[in-house]
Amino acid sequence: MTVAPVIETERLILRPNRPEDFDAYAAFYATDRARLRGGVKTRAQAWIQFAAEIGHWSLRGYGFWAVENKAAGAYCGQVGLWNPEGWAEPEIGWLMMEGFEGKGYAHEAALRARAYAYDTLGWTRAASCISEGNDRSIRLAERMGATFDRRFPRDGMPDHLVYIHPAPEALQ
Amino acid sequence: MTAPRAAYPVIETERLILRAPDARDLDAWMAFFMGPRSHYIRSVDQVEELGWRAFASVCGHWTLRGYGQFVSSSKAAPTATLGAAGPWNPAGWPETEIGWTVWADHAEGKGYAREAAEAGRAYAYDTLGWTTAVSYIDARNARSVRLAERLGATPDWDAATPRGEQCVVFRHPAPEALQ
Repeated sequence: MTVAPVIETERLILRPNRPEDFDAYAAFYATDRARLRGGVKTRAQAWIQFAAEIGHWSLRGYGFWAVENKAAGAYCGQVGLWNPEGWAEPEIGWLMMEGFEGKGYAHEAALRARAYAYDTLGWTRAASCISEGNDRSIRLAERMGATFDRRFPRDGMPDHLVYIHPAPEALQ
Repeated sequence: MTAPRAAYPVIETERLILRAPDARDLDAWMAFFMGPRSHYIRSVDQVEELGWRAFASVCGHWTLRGYGQFVSSSKAAPTATLGAAGPWNPAGWPETEIGWTVWADHAEGKGYAREAAEAGRAYAYDTLGWTTAVSYIDARNARSVRLAERLGATPDWDAATPRGEQCVVFRHPAPEALQ
């Protein structure tokens, strides 16, 4: 089974998810914040989704990393490349846990994930699919140079807004 | 840079090879999930998007628990995945389970599920050190009920079920009873 490679950025380590990351992940999905990130979930539902994020590596050869900060060695959230069956198109996604927002971590991690998609995987196009109303994530997508392309309706959830990132050659 | 691969056990039985699931098994799983054979084991709607995610979680279970469902293929045709069997223990599960699914029509009725489930149970007992195991089976799933009985499992009416009023808990013989 394919697992995430370890990658360093200035302040962060992107590494495979570990079982001990799950408590924080489940705590996030128990809160109302998860409404704009796929929906609020029980611990059991969150576990299946967490397992699916890990298994995405096996099925696609890429997926989500755990984001850890070098300063404290703390699990800060998820960043990665997501393209399950039925998805709008391959995307760069991010999710910061309570207490790790507002530090630029998501930006730093998402830039590295995008570079991995373009430089290592050879993607020629990358999206970010963001729930309507998730203004914080929309701002980050825009800060990365992505622009709104279209809506992606989702059953029982807010529409996702598909942002398209600058192409690889535009970032050289 | 290529993403690294995790090393997981491979088990050989008389006729089967059992290993951790990966992308090679996806098409066979999707055909199973979207077909009538998955009726009693699906916990989500029968749409491709959810079937894909369900299989991704079967793969990820290995990372989170260090074990999981083994997919099986016949030694005679190792590239054709026949089904899955073995230890299963997602969050919220009342107890550690031995599960099995036969994906391919042509794999039914040959004793493959029993061979794979016995190997999965032996792995749980001998390698993982489980002291007990159950199988959660829909009461209407006659084939699986029969297999549980052939494996020596008996209904435990007092045990908790993970979901559904139709679920019967079959408790397997303890490790020492199988010696």
